[in-house]
Amino acid sequence: MDSLYLLIPVALVFVAVGIKLLLWAIDNGQYDDLDKEAWRIIAEEQKHDAKHQPEEGKRQQP
Amino acid sequence: MCCPGCRAVAGMIAANGLESFYQQRTAYSERPAAAEFSLNDQYLIYDDEDMAERFCQRETDGTVTARLLLGGITCAACTWLIENSLAPVTGVGSALVNLQQSRLDVRFDPATIKLSEIFSRVESLGYRPRPFHASTQRDQMSADYRRDLRRLGVAGFGMMQVGMFAVALHAGDIQGIQEQYQGLLRWFSLLVSSFVVYYSASTFFTTAWRHLRQGALVMDLPVALAIGLAWLASAWATITNSGQVYFDSVVMFTFFLLLGRFMEARVRQKHSLTWFDAESALPDAVSCERDGSWVTVPRTQVGAGERVLLRPGETIAVDAEILSGDSAVREDTFNGEHLPRAVTTGDTVYAGTVNVEGALEARVLGSYLESRLAALQQSVEVAQTEKPRLARLADRVASWFVAGVLLVTSATALAWLQIDSSQALWVALSVLVISCPCALALATPAALTAAASSLRGSGVIVRGENALEALSRTTHLLFDKTGTLTEGQLEVARVELLSDVEREQVLAIAASLQRWSNHPISQAFQGIEGAPGFEQVNYHVGQGLSGRQGGIAYRMGSEAFCRAFCPALSPAPEAPLYWVALCTADRQLAWIGLSDKVRDEAAEVIRTAKQAELEVGLLTGDSSAQGPLLAAQLGIDRVDIGLEPQQKMQHVQALQADGAVVGMVGDGLNDAPVLSLADASFAVAGATDLARTQADFVIVGGDLSAVTSTWRKARACRRIILQNFGWALGYNLSAIPLAAMGYVPPWAAAIGMSLSSLLVVANSLRLNRDSG
Repeated sequence: MDSLYLLIPVALVFVAVGIKLLLWAIDNGQYDDLDKEAWRIIAEEQKHDAKHQPEEGKRQQP
Repeated sequence: MCCPGCRAVAGMIAANGLESFYQQRTAYSERPAAAEFSLNDQYLIYDDEDMAERFCQRETDGTVTARLLLGGITCAACTWLIENSLAPVTGVGSALVNLQQSRLDVRFDPATIKLSEIFSRVESLGYRPRPFHASTQRDQMSADYRRDLRRLGVAGFGMMQVGMFAVALHAGDIQGIQEQYQGLLRWFSLLVSSFVVYYSASTFFTTAWRHLRQGALVMDLPVALAIGLAWLASAWATITNSGQVYFDSVVMFTFFLLLGRFMEARVRQKHSLTWFDAESALPDAVSCERDGSWVTVPRTQVGAGERVLLRPGETIAVDAEILSGDSAVREDTFNGEHLPRAVTTGDTVYAGTVNVEGALEARVLGSYLESRLAALQQSVEVAQTEKPRLARLADRVASWFVAGVLLVTSATALAWLQIDSSQALWVALSVLVISCPCALALATPAALTAAASSLRGSGVIVRGENALEALSRTTHLLFDKTGTLTEGQLEVARVELLSDVEREQVLAIAASLQRWSNHPISQAFQGIEGAPGFEQVNYHVGQGLSGRQGGIAYRMGSEAFCRAFCPALSPAPEAPLYWVALCTADRQLAWIGLSDKVRDEAAEVIRTAKQAELEVGLLTGDSSAQGPLLAAQLGIDRVDIGLEPQQKMQHVQALQADGAVVGMVGDGLNDAPVLSLADASFAVAGATDLARTQADFVIVGGDLSAVTSTWRKARACRRIILQNFGWALGYNLSAIPLAAMGYVPPWAAAIGMSLSSLLVVANSLRLNRDSG
C-alpha cells in the first residue's frame, strides 16, 4: 500500500497536465463553437462526394 | 415555394449538390425577404480598399481574410451550407462560420474574386451579410464564455480526482482503513478541492457577496454558504485529523451547478444578436455629388449640405430634404406601415425609410447621430435600462431557504451542546452539508434549458434571460398590427363595380396596368391574370398608372388622378379600405378596395389568449380606421392607434406601473423600443434585425400561433420549476432531521445529493418531451 505515496502524486501530475491542456485548448478558441464541431463529422462525409465534381462547382461562376 | 428568394435558395442548394442541408438542418431557416435591390450594387462599395480595410486582414501570401457578420443564421446546418457553397468557388481559400457569433471568416484571393461577389453569394443563400466590426460587448461575451468553460473544465477534472479519493475514503469508513492512508487521501482531497473552490466556485462567492452588499438575497448565497462551510469543515477535519470530510460533495456540487448554468447560458446566448443596432439597417454606400459628378461614397463620409441621389427601391441612408423629384417613401421604420407616404420637393425624408417610386435629389441634413433613426436607437437603449426586473422565483425561494437552514443548523448545534458537546460541531456541519441546495439551485436552470431547447425545435428562439418566467406571469398581451397580426401585404378586399363591366374583367385590366408599377399596391394584383394587349403604360409617380388597350385609354390610381381624366367619377366608398379607382375618359369602371391580409392564425391566437384570461390589446402606428376594424374583427378590446415608437413605450410603462406584466408581439424597427421594454416580447417572422435584437423570443417559422404555444410552454416550465423546488425542499426537509440526529455519514450525503439532483434534471427533461 506504500505505493500510494508515489501513485497519487503521479496521478495529480496527470491531472495538472490535463487541466493545462484543456485551458490551452479553450484559450485557443477550440471550444468557441460547440455546435458546429458536432456537425462537422457528418459534413466531412458529404465533402468526399462533392470532391467528385469540383468542376461543376467552378462552373457556377458568373 | 413561398417566394422567389426561397426558390433561389432551393435552386442553389440543389445545383451545388447540397441537398443534405434538408436532412441535416435542425430548424427551418428564416424565409429570406424578397431582394429589394439588384444583388451586386449594394456591395460594390466593399471593393473599395479603404472601406474593406476596416474588416479585412491582409495575409502574408497576398490573400485577404474578411470578417462578415451574418443576419438570419439559425442552426449548424446553416453554417455548413454557407461554408460548403463558398469553398468550391474559385479564389476562395477557406470559409469558416462561427455560429455563436454569427460570424463568417472567409479567406480569398483579391486578384481572382471580389469581396462584393462574396457578399452577394452569401446573400443569395438567404442570409444578410455585413461587415463585422469588433465591439467591446462582443469581445466581453466571448471572454465570459471562455471563462465559464475554463471553470467548468477545472471543476470537472477536480470532481473526477476527488471522487476517486472519496471512493477509497467511503470504502474505508465502511470496512476500516489505516489512519495513515486515510490522512494521505484526505490531504490530497484537500489539495485538489481547494484549487477547485478557489478557481471554479469563486463566482458563487463574488455574486453572493455583491448582492448581499445591496441587501439582496440570491440563490448564490445558500450555494456559497454550503460550499464554503463544507469546505472549511472538511479542511478543519483534515488538519486536526478528526470528524468527517465532504470534499467530494463540495466539488460535485460545484461541477453540477456550473454545468447547469453553463448549459442554460449557452442555449440562450447562441442567438444573442446584441450587435445589431438601428444604424446597421442603413446602406453603407451613398450616391453623392462631388465636383460635378455622381460618385459612390461611404455613408459616414457624407456631411450636411451635400447633394445625394436617392434611387427608387433603396433604403435612404441619411436624413435629407428633397431638392427635386417626386416619390413615395415607405416609413415602416417609424410607423410600422407598409403603405408609402407621397413626398415632393421641400419634404424631408428620413434615414432608414425606403424610397419606393422615383429617384430623388436631396440635400443632406446631418450625420447619423442627428437623424430620427438615431433617436429611435436611443429610445431602445433607454428602454433596456427601464425594463422592469421581475424577482426570480429561485431568488425568492433562496432568501427563505437561507433563513431556514441557518435556523435549523443553529438549533441543532444548541441541542447537541446539551447532549454531547464534543459532537455538536460535526452534527451541525452534517446538517449544513445535507441541506446543500444542489437540487434547489439546479431546479431553475435545468427546467429553463429543457424548455428553451424544446422551443427551439418548434421554431422559437429564446433569447431573454428570465424571459420564460416573465412570460408565464404575463397578464397583458399586446400586439402590433401591420406585419404582426397581418401579413403586411395588400390584397383585394372589395370591388365596387360602377358600370356593366364584370368584376373579373376589371381585375384583369387592373392587373395588367399594375405590372408596370413597383408600388406596394401592385403586390395585391400579382396573383391575378392580366388582360392582353396593353400598351403605352405609364407610371405617374405618386398618382397612378395610365395605359391603352385596343384604342381605349385607361387610368388607375388616386381619386384626384382619375377625376382629372374622367370627371364623372363618383367619390370613394366610405368603408375604411385603401381605395384605388379605375376608369376610362368617359366611363368610371370601379373602385377597388385593398386591405392588409390578416394572418390566418391571428384569430385563433387572440381567442386562445383571451381564454387564458390574458388582457389582449392592439398598439399600432397606423392612424387609419383599419386598426379598430381589425380589432373588432379579431375580438380585441383595447385599441390604440397612430402611435409613435415612443408613445408605444409610454403605454407599456403605464401598464407596468399599475402592476401588469406585459407581453408584446411586434415586428418592425418601430417596435424595437417597446419590445425591449416589455417584460416578455416576441419578434415574429420577417421582423427587422433590431426588433429581433430586443425581443425575448424570436419566432423563426411564419406561424403566429407560436405565441400561444410558447406561453403554454412557459406555464409548463413554471410548473416544472415549482415541482423541482417542491422535491428539493422536501428532500432537504426529510434528510435534515436524520442529519440532526447524527445518522447521515458523508457517503450517504453525497449519494443523496446526487440522486436528488438527478431527479430534478430528469423532471426538467419532461419539458423537452411533450410538445404541449
